[in-house]
Amino acid sequence: MTDLLQLVFSGLAQGSVYGLVALGFVAIFAVREIVNLVQGEYAALAGLAAISAVGAGLPLLVAVLVVIPLVIGVAVLLERMTIAPIKKMTPLTSIILTLGVSTAVKAVMLLIWGPEAKGLPTFPGTDITVGGVSIRSQELWVLGIAAVVAYAVIWFYEHTVRGKSLRACAEQPVAARLVGISPRTATVVAFAVAGFTGAVAGVVGSPIYLSAWSSGLSLGLKGFVAATLGGLTSLRVAMIGGMLLGVLENLVAGYLSSGYRDAVAFVVLVLVLLFRPHGLASKTSAVRV
Amino acid sequence: MSPMVKRQLPFVALAVALFLFGGLAPHAMVDVGIWALIYGIAAIGLSLLMGLAGQVSLGHAAFIAVGAYTQALLVGKAGWNPLLAAPVAVIASMLVALLVGLPLLRLRGHFLALATLGLGIIVGVFVTEQDFTGATSGIFGLPNLEFGGRSYDTAQEYFLLLTPIVVIGLWLASNLVHSRTGRALSAVNDSEVAAECLGVDTFALRLRVFVLSAAYAGLSGVFYTHWLTIVNPSVAHFELSVKILLMVVLGGLGTVWGAVIGAVAVQLLDEGLRAIIPVLIPSAKGEIQLIGFGVVLVLVIILMPGGLAQLWSKVMSAVRQRNHPIVRGEHEHKVTQEEQRDLLEESLKLLARAEHMPAGQTILAIRGLTKRYGGVTALDNLDLDVKAGEIMALIGPNGAGKTTAFNMITGVLPPTEGSVVLEGNEVAGKRPHIAAAIGATRTFQNLQTFKSTTVIGNVKVARHLRSQAGLIRGMLLLDRTEEKLIDQASQAAIDAMGLTSLADKQIADLAFGKQRQVEVARALALEPSVLLLDEPMAGLSGPERDSLSWLLRRVKASGVTVLLVEHDVAAVMALADRVAVLDDGKLISLGTPAQVTSDPKVIAAYLGEEDDHSGGPAESPTATAASAATSPAAGGQA
Repeated sequence: MTDLLQLVFSGLAQGSVYGLVALGFVAIFAVREIVNLVQGEYAALAGLAAISAVGAGLPLLVAVLVVIPLVIGVAVLLERMTIAPIKKMTPLTSIILTLGVSTAVKAVMLLIWGPEAKGLPTFPGTDITVGGVSIRSQELWVLGIAAVVAYAVIWFYEHTVRGKSLRACAEQPVAARLVGISPRTATVVAFAVAGFTGAVAGVVGSPIYLSAWSSGLSLGLKGFVAATLGGLTSLRVAMIGGMLLGVLENLVAGYLSSGYRDAVAFVVLVLVLLFRPHGLASKTSAVRV
Repeated sequence: MSPMVKRQLPFVALAVALFLFGGLAPHAMVDVGIWALIYGIAAIGLSLLMGLAGQVSLGHAAFIAVGAYTQALLVGKAGWNPLLAAPVAVIASMLVALLVGLPLLRLRGHFLALATLGLGIIVGVFVTEQDFTGATSGIFGLPNLEFGGRSYDTAQEYFLLLTPIVVIGLWLASNLVHSRTGRALSAVNDSEVAAECLGVDTFALRLRVFVLSAAYAGLSGVFYTHWLTIVNPSVAHFELSVKILLMVVLGGLGTVWGAVIGAVAVQLLDEGLRAIIPVLIPSAKGEIQLIGFGVVLVLVIILMPGGLAQLWSKVMSAVRQRNHPIVRGEHEHKVTQEEQRDLLEESLKLLARAEHMPAGQTILAIRGLTKRYGGVTALDNLDLDVKAGEIMALIGPNGAGKTTAFNMITGVLPPTEGSVVLEGNEVAGKRPHIAAAIGATRTFQNLQTFKSTTVIGNVKVARHLRSQAGLIRGMLLLDRTEEKLIDQASQAAIDAMGLTSLADKQIADLAFGKQRQVEVARALALEPSVLLLDEPMAGLSGPERDSLSWLLRRVKASGVTVLLVEHDVAAVMALADRVAVLDDGKLISLGTPAQVTSDPKVIAAYLGEEDDHSGGPAESPTATAASAATSPAAGGQA
């Protein structure tokens, strides 16, 4: 029982990192119907940059506060340079394009930081044990920060007029223009949000799960799987889906074999698409005809 | 020289060039060439998947890995003859593709891409975790290929072995693109709904192409194994998948030749970057060539979406224009109306299907057909029997539900409730190709032509159901006789519409009305038993309308049932045997043209008198719909 609780708890922490990445997928997909394969790279980049900043003598908090806007800037800049110039975006084009960007970013990280995985120092705090379940303070940081960020993003998109009209851009481009929001603004904001959630995922996760040039690949795939659970349109289900995925992975790793951890996401993806292609919560069509 | 022979020349040229290169080039270059050819085989398959099925695999290395590992296990551990093991290895790759494609290819959009990305990871994890695949160190000490008294252990020998494989693989793929399957899938990429309404089963064809692309990748894996003589988990890595994808994109999407050209270019880029980057940045190690892959992928998509093939055809057309300036104002043969009608009689003979349901029997029975969108009811409980051999018109104001009814009859939309029985088969809620296979096809109110091809190219797609050649027959060019028949029947349908002089024109260059006529020709070419026409007169000139009316009477006379949505009320009343009037989703009148025009309910619906005067706020949607429709309707009746 303690084992189970232990696995579930650390799975929740790991999964909230996936959830944050998934929020970025949903933010962009809702506006542009693009699956942005660079999503995982934002997290890897944030983790590695923060490690360097700390290595250069900056205090942890300062490093984090510098790195997050930096990654947001990179996300928006890459969008302006690569997505914006394309006039006719098809699913095929968007996948090839974002795959190209993600590959280039991976390689740049490899050139700068080398092939080894590194970790950021843990955030301040002491590890505790509750009822036999040992809880690392970093896991509490991950859960807490993820909860705050997810709440903020959901609140922005669902409860502010500006956020709501940004999302409406995808369905009602003309109406959105009438209230003064251009698709361009909506896209830039979506990429900024994606850069933000990705960067947060990268820095809070780095002390436990480490950062490497290639870690964005599987992180991105898992974020996508979580986003798929929400039909690529629901922020809430995407966040919760990420946490469920984290728990499931931990259970497989704990009870079957740790090597198969990375296979869980793929199996979940196939099963979801097979039985609930429009997501767990919704019955309406997310896949446009 | 016949065009068929002419098409084979580039393959002969490629084979000669490769043999010369393999025989004469220095060892180091041949070595690079071998890798270009090995990966080129996989790239040809991926090119088919992307060009024909419009889908992308981001984990194509997984299929190479399955082929490579299967070959290594069978030869290295089980001691099989490599020539016996190779087909098994290829089949193993195909099976994996089948398992992934079966659930995922039904979905549109991004899912196959992400799922294959996941597959790449899962295959990598699997071979690393299992002892029988040698875990991280893989399987090594595999033998070089040896058969037919030769040993393929030097670069030169291996290159010469690969040459015919690549040329034949390319030839087969190229034939497929020009075959019945290729034509149907290319139509799907232009307009999925139109292709399906002509009987194309998108899912089945895409699945076959996906499995075929995995076969190419599996074969690539077999040659990978025997050249490297070692297989380890790195073969499944993401880097290789990106590399294969880049080969296809750089070479040019939609052309299988591009895959081979791209393979050479990317292999050179790969070798070049591995040599240059460590010189520039001494600390660099690992898969640094990826930076070039990523940047080139992005640049190609932004600057040159058609890849090197696009560049090539631009250069060629520039050269051609300098040598043969285009002659403007070509002579167009004017066919008189008499001549056209003679032509039409001939074509109808060609298109006449032997068996039609006896006239007067119910060919299409619609019961309780309803479509609701949230709170809005677009079509409300429609009951309608259409008799074989009649022309029935469906009229009504805008928003009355006519097109919605068409969409549900042809399977384009699933109904909320109700049934549609076509020649005794329930088709409601099934895909459009099911209705097409029974014999119902349609045209579209908003044009759905296949824009990337010519007029005859559009019409040929409609012969899909009247021909059989599958993937293999198409690839082996065993479909020539059938293709000739397809050409004849398509030409006949074009002649019947009086479009003979336009047959080889790109459809996108034609005027709106002409494109509409092509859609009718296309629908006729299917030899339908029920022909559904959605506003076929819109955009047509007076004489064109007259010929279309005349043609529809002839079509009816040959036993075809016609269901017509049309705003030109005068034309409808002159043409139709019976008229059904819809208003606000409900059937309000049904009868002969004379009965319907004197029905007070119809008059009210069209002129909107009652609603305008007595309609309260609750009825306002009806009033709006009716008054919106008043002007075109009045114009038609005048």
